[in-house]
Amino acid sequence: MQLKEETTSMVKNNKNNDWIKLLLDNFIWIIVVAVFAFFSFQMPERFFTLPNFVNVLLHASVLGVLVIGQAIVLLTGNFDLSAEGVLSLTTILAMWLMAEPRTDAGGAQASGWMLHPFIVIPIMFMVGILSGWIIGMFITRLKMNGFIVTLAMQLVLRGIALIISEGQIMTGSPALFNWLGGTRIRGFPVSVGVTLLMYLVVNYLLNQSKFGRNLRAVGANRDAARASGFDPNKTITRAYMISGFLGAFAGWMLLGRLETSISSLGEGMTLETVAASVIGGVSLKGGLGSVGGAFAGVMLLSIIDNALNLMDVDPFWVQAVRGFIILLALLIEAQKFRYKPKVVHEKDERIAAVELESKA
Amino acid sequence: MLVIGQAFTMITANFDLSSESGLGLTAMVAGLLLAAEENGGLGLEVSPAVAIAAMTVTGLAIGVINGFLITRLRMNNLIVTIAMLMILRGLVYIISPGATASFFPDGFKWLGSGPILKIPQEKGFLSIPASSVFIVLAFITAHIITRYTQFGRNMYAVGSNIVAAKDAGINADKIVRTVYVISGFCMAVAGLLAGGRLDSATPRVGAGMIFPVQAAAVVGGISLFGGRGTMLGAMGGYFLWSILDVGLPIMKVSPFWIETSRGLLLLFAVALDAYKVRRLRQRALEETLEQTEIGLTDKNILVE
Amino acid sequence: MNKVAIKTETVLQMKGISKAFPGVQALRQVDLTVLPGEIHGLVGKNGAGKTTLMAVLMGLQEPNEGTIQIDSTEYTSMNPTEALDAGIAYVPQHVAMMDSLTVAENILAGDLPKTKFGLVDWKKVNDEAQKRLDMLNLKLDVTKKVEGLEVAEQTMLAIAKALFGDAKLIILDEPTAPLSRAEINRLFAFVKSLKEKGASFIYISHHLEEVFEICDRVTVLRDGRVVGTENVKDIDIPKLIVMMVGEDVEDYSRESSCTDEVVFVLENLARRGYYEDINLEVKKGEVVGITGLQGCGSEQLGKGLFGLEYRGVGNVKIHGEEFIAKEPIDSFNQGLAYLPQDRYRYGLVGVRPVKENVTYPILDRLVRLINLVNRSEEKKIVDEYIEGLEIVTPNQDQPVRLLSGGNQQKVVFAKLATTRPAVLIIHEPTQGVDVRAKMDIFRIIDEMASQGVAIIVISSEIRELIGICDRILVMNNGRITEEFEKGDKATTPENILDAIEGGNNKHG
Repeated sequence: MQLKEETTSMVKNNKNNDWIKLLLDNFIWIIVVAVFAFFSFQMPERFFTLPNFVNVLLHASVLGVLVIGQAIVLLTGNFDLSAEGVLSLTTILAMWLMAEPRTDAGGAQASGWMLHPFIVIPIMFMVGILSGWIIGMFITRLKMNGFIVTLAMQLVLRGIALIISEGQIMTGSPALFNWLGGTRIRGFPVSVGVTLLMYLVVNYLLNQSKFGRNLRAVGANRDAARASGFDPNKTITRAYMISGFLGAFAGWMLLGRLETSISSLGEGMTLETVAASVIGGVSLKGGLGSVGGAFAGVMLLSIIDNALNLMDVDPFWVQAVRGFIILLALLIEAQKFRYKPKVVHEKDERIAAVELESKA
Repeated sequence: MLVIGQAFTMITANFDLSSESGLGLTAMVAGLLLAAEENGGLGLEVSPAVAIAAMTVTGLAIGVINGFLITRLRMNNLIVTIAMLMILRGLVYIISPGATASFFPDGFKWLGSGPILKIPQEKGFLSIPASSVFIVLAFITAHIITRYTQFGRNMYAVGSNIVAAKDAGINADKIVRTVYVISGFCMAVAGLLAGGRLDSATPRVGAGMIFPVQAAAVVGGISLFGGRGTMLGAMGGYFLWSILDVGLPIMKVSPFWIETSRGLLLLFAVALDAYKVRRLRQRALEETLEQTEIGLTDKNILVE
Repeated sequence: MNKVAIKTETVLQMKGISKAFPGVQALRQVDLTVLPGEIHGLVGKNGAGKTTLMAVLMGLQEPNEGTIQIDSTEYTSMNPTEALDAGIAYVPQHVAMMDSLTVAENILAGDLPKTKFGLVDWKKVNDEAQKRLDMLNLKLDVTKKVEGLEVAEQTMLAIAKALFGDAKLIILDEPTAPLSRAEINRLFAFVKSLKEKGASFIYISHHLEEVFEICDRVTVLRDGRVVGTENVKDIDIPKLIVMMVGEDVEDYSRESSCTDEVVFVLENLARRGYYEDINLEVKKGEVVGITGLQGCGSEQLGKGLFGLEYRGVGNVKIHGEEFIAKEPIDSFNQGLAYLPQDRYRYGLVGVRPVKENVTYPILDRLVRLINLVNRSEEKKIVDEYIEGLEIVTPNQDQPVRLLSGGNQQKVVFAKLATTRPAVLIIHEPTQGVDVRAKMDIFRIIDEMASQGVAIIVISSEIRELIGICDRILVMNNGRITEEFEKGDKATTPENILDAIEGGNNKHG
């Protein structure tokens, strides 16, 4: 009898909360649509055109791939600031391995090996995975701060990219390689389709797979995850390896589109990936969020980027705006946590003791 | 100079990653005010004193904002200062015409590139740069502040154990706000030095500096966990860093290797720092285990 | 706020303090008096209300009823700052010091002696600190960093700090837990010397001999009420125990499901610093209880067996097969499950839903192709457990942190049960569980035992253990010192508590 009463009252209590929570969670898409509509009205000729959409999507596709990696790492409660370094290094490395050695002066010198893309692309992936693995080791075995480690890693990776390319650009990637980034089917870029597909797949996997549960558990409560049979160290390392892989994938995509490599490729994208994820509802504390939300963040940032560009806004205003958006996203996240449904549990003596000890 | 600012915040267990942009901003502000119109400035050509004042105000303002966001709004210091990094850098580009502002008056440049002593030699003078002397003095002053003032010691207290510090009656929030303001001030001074040395200000001034600054501080013994390290140590880290900066190019090492080695050195320094602090905390437990009378058949002294 | 001035001779008078939390009445009309220069002991089982009472005294909790009188000022409510100003200081078990700073700095933090120019005068700092320590006869190296001190020294330093802060009443909360006998002597000598100088203490401890060693009077709390306050010389340990345990409401009791088949064997298990000589055989369907003071080693034993911590040396066998678990997952795979004491930290991932928490360890079984979880099968299994254990939740997707304590505990049980363990180690089964749910928990344990699971219950609730266990082992300083059989005349709460308190006086 009492059981039934308790349950129904709980249900009633939580129903209202559920609605509001649903609203907050998907709030971001509302904003995306709103912003899109706003810009469409402002600049119908320039913004609201098919070619422009394609531009937005192109930018979103590369960013999007990186964001998947970042979101996955964020879900485990860590940061990955090295993704753009992976992007940079793998693109430089790829060109170095593939391109024809230059006969003229200027530009960087390729290795002259002219390896086939089928070999080069897997090498790119391996570099990304290796980078992720190293980071994972540093963080789990040596217990270092993920923030600084990935930051330093980014430096190292970019540095190596600089060494190889000597700061110069290299052009002329083989057509076979460019397939992913450059091909369009009836005007619609393949890369965008691939990215969308990736999102759908990853989203599905994260929600339905053991690995997804693993990630979220480790991110939300590492100790409990361990006591429930997971291996947090392995999980975190795997997350970084995936992020590294995706960094290389994004490199493949971008290089294929631009057909040019330069060591400064991807600069600044890291912050964008964090911003997109946070805006999309991925909690910085770990465990909460979805790639779907992160994708909304990606769209939002890409739209804003594009629109500001079209409005001939100083490109560096954009940087400032991005910074503001991040701060805003943080504020929103803080609000979400404030609005927690009522918890129904009794005070326990020992918890009071722990609280006492932390306050005293 | 930025290292000093960083060290201040790191001792309280906070980060300030916005300093490189702050440097750029203050330098740009000065540049715009000082340079003649044909040289890229606003054409105001104010006196150096006014420019310096403006820079200082800018730097302090940045510090105040950072401090406010972190202590009053309780936002994560890492993210906030990174966001500021981006915002400020954006601001630099906005206020500058994109080109450089150059040719500043001598009075302004003195600290950055002027001599403090001219020792007559056989051929001309051997001048000791004012900036070098200044930096050393700055470090010494910082050291005096952190080691010998109540405020300085309170910084360490807050960084070491914020709860215990509050119990001792220390106003932790105020201390944190103040160190950020100090960091902002350091940004202004750094801007002065940079502007003086380069005799120009570009929007890119200071970009990428944040990593070597962090690394220098950590290498110099300032722990990322807070409450540890001295300014003199930081000075040592700064010198080491500068030597590498200057020495490696002289050894004909490619500038790109230098970038990489910076990352590696940072990695190494942080790993060492993490290891050091972890060891310290483990040692106490290990000592207890060694003195115990229970379980002596178990030869392992392990701390999970 | 609310202060009134009253004439008095006591340092502290708490009158009629009552405090209730949702679902639990923690304190009922508690009276506590402390005289100047007195060391007043406060004893009681876990959950008796000691912590809450101190929280009220320190201003961290507001009492629903009652007043607190410190010296001659009476308060009906206080905040922590007022409590501090009034002279109440708290020394927790794990002292909060600024580890990377020196002893001298910790003592004088916030107000360091300076030279004429306003700069810190380190010589004066050290001298002043040394002077203060000398006043209390405490021998420490003031230039040493606190992190380099021994634990006993850190505790003494904390007490000293409190006194320097003009504390009139210092609350010592289980200060001796991490200390060796020699260090305890040192600490007690120090505290006694302070008492001579007029400081007053409240001494909270589970170590009854210590209470008798150092306290002048002692107050016993039970279920939130004061059972009595006595002079230490007018009473002895057995009498004290009777007061702590009391006569009680009807206890739970069950039929034994113990078989003859031995399934779980511990041979000569020892872990440096925590336990030694652990030999145990548990039969199929048997429920064995382990109890002891905090720090007796039972907690580490449980965690070590499960793989959360280092287990030490020695052999463990399940069904004759060697059992080694370096990580919890190994443990699950070999048939051992563990219910942690701190379920918020180790037991459940609060933000995730019930169904996820229940199935974490068995996902491998529910996975179809490429790692995808078979949702329908999962739902079926989780539903079974929700029904079987009577877990109150609106649906499977409810985040577990929204459930009540008792239901959360049931979720943990469900999770462990899914792994079909041969051995189940439970640490404090009814902690944070309301009275109604407690019966359910007992029923679950009974159910699992009758299904053949060998169960070890580590708990400090003696009456509960008597009700559900076939045997109860007492651990003292890392060794199993006594054993009580179900149904034996000697198996009484008083005897068990005595065994817990008695035994060696050696620590560490």
